[in-house]
Amino acid sequence: MITNSTMKSSSISKSTNANLMMLLKTVGHGCKRIIRNPLTAAGLVVVILLLVIAVFAPWIATHNPLAQQLSNSLQAPSAEHWFGTDEFGRDIFSRLVYGSRITLYIIALVTIIVGPIGLAIGTISGYFGGIIDTVFMRITDIFISFPGLVLALAFVAALGPGLEHAVIAIALTTWPPIARLARAETLQLRKADYIVAVQLQGASATRIIFRHIVPMCLSSVIVRLTMNMAGIILTAAGLGFLGLGAQAPLPEWGAMISTGRSYMLENWWLVAAPGAAIMLVSLAFNLLGDGLRDLLDPRN
Amino acid sequence: MNVSNLLKYCALSIAISSTIVPSANAITPENQLVIGMSMDNLLSLDPASASGLDVVSVNSNLYDMLIELAPKEPSKISPAVAKSWSISEDGNRITFELRDDVIFHSGNKLTAHDVAWSLQRVLKLNLALASTWKTYGFTADNVEQFIQAKDDYTVEISLPEKTDPNLVLYTLGSSPSAFIVDSKEVLKHEKDGDLGHAWLTTNVAGSGPFQLRDWRAKDRVLMTRFDDYWREPSEMKRIVMRHMTESQSLRLMLERGDIDIAMGMSVPDIEALKKDDNIRSEATIRGTLYYVAVSMKDDKFSNKKVREAVRYLIDYKGINDSIMPNYGVLHQRPLKLGLDATLPEPGYALNVQKAKTLLAEAGYPDGFKTSIRVLSQLPFINIATSLQSTLAQAGIDAEIITGTGNQVYGAMRERKFEMLVGRGGGGIEPHPHSSLRSLVYNPDNSDEAKLTNFQGWRTGFYSPEINTIIENALLEKDAQKQIEMYQDVQNIYETQIGAIFPVSQMLDTVLLRTDVKHYEGHQAATTRLREVTKER
Amino acid sequence: MLTFQLSNKRFKHFFGGLSSVAITLLGLLALTFFIGRVMPIDPVLSVVGPDADNSTYEQVYKEMGLDKPLYTQYLYYLNDIAHGDFGNALLTGRPVIEDIARVFPATLELATVAIIFGIVIGIPLGVYAAVNKGRAVDHIIRVISLFGYSTPVFWVGMIGLIIFYAWLNVVGGSGRVDLAYDGFVDPVTGMLLIDSALARDWDVFQSAIKHIILPAFILGLNAVSFITRMTRSFMLEQLSQEYILTAQVKGLPKRVVIWRHAFRNILVQLLTIITLSYGSLLEGAVLIETVFAWPGFGQYLTSSLLLGDMNAVVASILLIGLIFISLNLLTDLLYRVFDPRTRK
Repeated sequence: MITNSTMKSSSISKSTNANLMMLLKTVGHGCKRIIRNPLTAAGLVVVILLLVIAVFAPWIATHNPLAQQLSNSLQAPSAEHWFGTDEFGRDIFSRLVYGSRITLYIIALVTIIVGPIGLAIGTISGYFGGIIDTVFMRITDIFISFPGLVLALAFVAALGPGLEHAVIAIALTTWPPIARLARAETLQLRKADYIVAVQLQGASATRIIFRHIVPMCLSSVIVRLTMNMAGIILTAAGLGFLGLGAQAPLPEWGAMISTGRSYMLENWWLVAAPGAAIMLVSLAFNLLGDGLRDLLDPRN
Repeated sequence: MNVSNLLKYCALSIAISSTIVPSANAITPENQLVIGMSMDNLLSLDPASASGLDVVSVNSNLYDMLIELAPKEPSKISPAVAKSWSISEDGNRITFELRDDVIFHSGNKLTAHDVAWSLQRVLKLNLALASTWKTYGFTADNVEQFIQAKDDYTVEISLPEKTDPNLVLYTLGSSPSAFIVDSKEVLKHEKDGDLGHAWLTTNVAGSGPFQLRDWRAKDRVLMTRFDDYWREPSEMKRIVMRHMTESQSLRLMLERGDIDIAMGMSVPDIEALKKDDNIRSEATIRGTLYYVAVSMKDDKFSNKKVREAVRYLIDYKGINDSIMPNYGVLHQRPLKLGLDATLPEPGYALNVQKAKTLLAEAGYPDGFKTSIRVLSQLPFINIATSLQSTLAQAGIDAEIITGTGNQVYGAMRERKFEMLVGRGGGGIEPHPHSSLRSLVYNPDNSDEAKLTNFQGWRTGFYSPEINTIIENALLEKDAQKQIEMYQDVQNIYETQIGAIFPVSQMLDTVLLRTDVKHYEGHQAATTRLREVTKER
Repeated sequence: MLTFQLSNKRFKHFFGGLSSVAITLLGLLALTFFIGRVMPIDPVLSVVGPDADNSTYEQVYKEMGLDKPLYTQYLYYLNDIAHGDFGNALLTGRPVIEDIARVFPATLELATVAIIFGIVIGIPLGVYAAVNKGRAVDHIIRVISLFGYSTPVFWVGMIGLIIFYAWLNVVGGSGRVDLAYDGFVDPVTGMLLIDSALARDWDVFQSAIKHIILPAFILGLNAVSFITRMTRSFMLEQLSQEYILTAQVKGLPKRVVIWRHAFRNILVQLLTIITLSYGSLLEGAVLIETVFAWPGFGQYLTSSLLLGDMNAVVASILLIGLIFISLNLLTDLLYRVFDPRTRK
């Protein structure tokens, strides 16, 4: 593993542009290979579908997801309501469609928060070593030794239930593995010839970290984030299920299951549809992440 | 290994698991009663500190009271440990004569000293249940003087302030603080002068028909029959109460016969079970009300027109028809149903147009933003969701903030809320004062007064006129006149538009296997299981 | 001589580990404590109820020491903990330690049965996938194992209850035993399967099995996936080694090559993996216990959290942290002791 990456790094040109080119090339090359693996391709298709549904939700949904019609409650699936209606007479299909926006919102927000934080802590810690490394890694250890859901639960309990708070709570639980990964990569890069060369030229630490180390860590961090997404979806749904995530009337899938379960013995569609949606989407992210990891695995 | 091997392996494991798992045939034993219920609020069994209705339904079987109220007609008082009682001419003193054959689970005799000590203890500890007694004028300092054992079997309660003695009797027959505790046994376990509080939190020193065998918070309560009970001993040898909050689990287990009685189920499951021949349902009216409250500390809601608009923006009919069946029945007065003083329903109904006009007159033609605090449980959350959508029709954009009981009522106690869907009205005593005291009465509206036990203060509704009538009505000896005064209060409340809008009177629906007989749900939650039998 | 040096090094590592564990635990403690104190949940209200008057409220507020500054409270708390006193839980009125000792075995039992499912199903699947690498079966197993990662356990739990309890009637409902058997067996280990077997109360034992099988299986799904995938990749590594080729060339039966040679060599790795996934099962238990009304640690933690019962929460989280950390140390140690490659 070590020899592999030093080889890789020494053969790479020192300029960032070339690094970026390299990354793009890998991505382009990767796309081709993704399509070759049917499972990964299936995952990709579902993820793209999710994006499309979320973007075009108003056109795809057949009803207003929030419009209540108490006289029309708990209707079984039919031509009018494809997935039936819930206890307030709201169309479940439309709620699912709009719920995809919430799911994507959570994933995107968590990723945006977690990526930079994890990268920053990991690279700084790995590059400087010593006391900084020890302190950062202790903090990481503290967060890692909490089980994710329990930590998220504690934070949401502290901040109060709500979508934004759930996002923050999930972010707090997902950054440590990213930081560790970035640190491991940095540790290998730090001793690479070209980094030493840049150091000799008198480049500042910030410059080295941001222009030379971060771009090199990016690809593995992205793969890791993709693989995390399924976990994020499940944690968010779990929080929603416990009543601590998105609040009524938002059509968050976990919350839909949570409220639907009071009716599930007669009206199975209330929980079947959102549950299946959660499973499908997290499976898709898992397939995609799995495929991406295989691509970057040097053994393949 | 190949595919067929894999299949074989799977088949084998299924076969193994099905042999060790024969089909379930768990019918509860004939001399045991198994109850599934939520014990979310059951934190302490100590009669002085226990709060909430869950604990009453447990303690009613472990302890005795001086007197009991009839289950379906709570204004009827019947003797229990006290065989008779009398109220003095001036209405200032109540004297109880006790039976002499009551013994505690410890074997100690129950005497007047235990009764007086139990009640004094409530005030000295000054915990949750002291509140009611303090409103009668009792304090930790004066209680020994006002509640006394005259001899071994006579207890005398003098009233520190003028009040309706019937109200005090009702409290003695319904409050969770009125259970009689074995003073000798408790004092053996006293620690640092806590009057046995720590010990009684998890232990019981009573004389009731059942003894506590084991209690685990949010898990289960196990009781066994007390064979030396002064009444006929119960036919049930054991009672198991199990903490279960999932309505569908309750339903499945009730259908299966794994439990005999299920409480706190959701409407769809209740409706489905009503069709089952082996199961019957029993609904009991409770004293508390489901309501929508607004805070008059908030500028918007201090405006009377806005409050009137809110009154027109609640879909009373929709809520009661589709959300509340089995949880409650339509009721819009601050007095509970079934009292002589309660006026007929005023007939409020959803009227968006009228509400819009009122909002425009109040200076909010385009509505406003607000928030609704609510418990994240059925049916509260559903009432809030319905309210949110009707408010939206008039342009009011309300965000729902859910929370635990702690968070919701905590915010209310600190007067930090705008709107709230809740349940309250104190009111276990079948007396108009008990509803009004907790929902409307507010003698001092200043923030410093901190009258946090009054919902009138929490919502900031202050009407000196109403306060005066409530105070005077309590002292009125002429029954008819008293009723008229309470009716006046309701009329004034209607025109002044109070901050609490009752929506439904609480209904407690319990489901039972049909072989369970003689179960009688009690309006004050003191449901006693001693007479329950099973006929198969 | 060589072994002595090695073990010396190992000890040094171990003690270095211990001091960092101590720091981590302290951090964990501080974090939980301060989360607890900023929570908008009022523990006083949990005690006095929503309708208590203000004098009662103030009295209890003071009794709980909440009127003192935050750092004083923390120092008091640390002092108590140093003396082994974790305080009483609001929820039960009993010492937190006693509570945890009572609820933890229920979760441990659940997690243990779950991990057994994980091993019994995961290892054969993983080996099978590795042997058939790249074929259709491999892909199928991969999808199956990814399913395990992708299922919302609370949802599967609910569906499972309907199918296996309500419709097929082959498993027990919520809780650890049929209610009528509740409290029949006195707790010795707190694990009902063991206790009832010790008491030779086979009715209770049978009932307990019926109740544990479904939640444990669903809880174990994640472990199944993890173990399958890791087994597969470990096996692949072994199968590509030269000695395997040699053995095959020698004409040994395939079964012998796979199980006697390759599989035996991944046992240590598997052991560490299993230890790790055991820890993460504790986390899954939070949701599963809610769905199945399982009176375990996860439920205890959740309800204490929602009540603002910080004594219970801090102690619980500390315990989880401790378990996580010690499992990590254990795997580390296992590796160092057994794995030839990390010896140098």
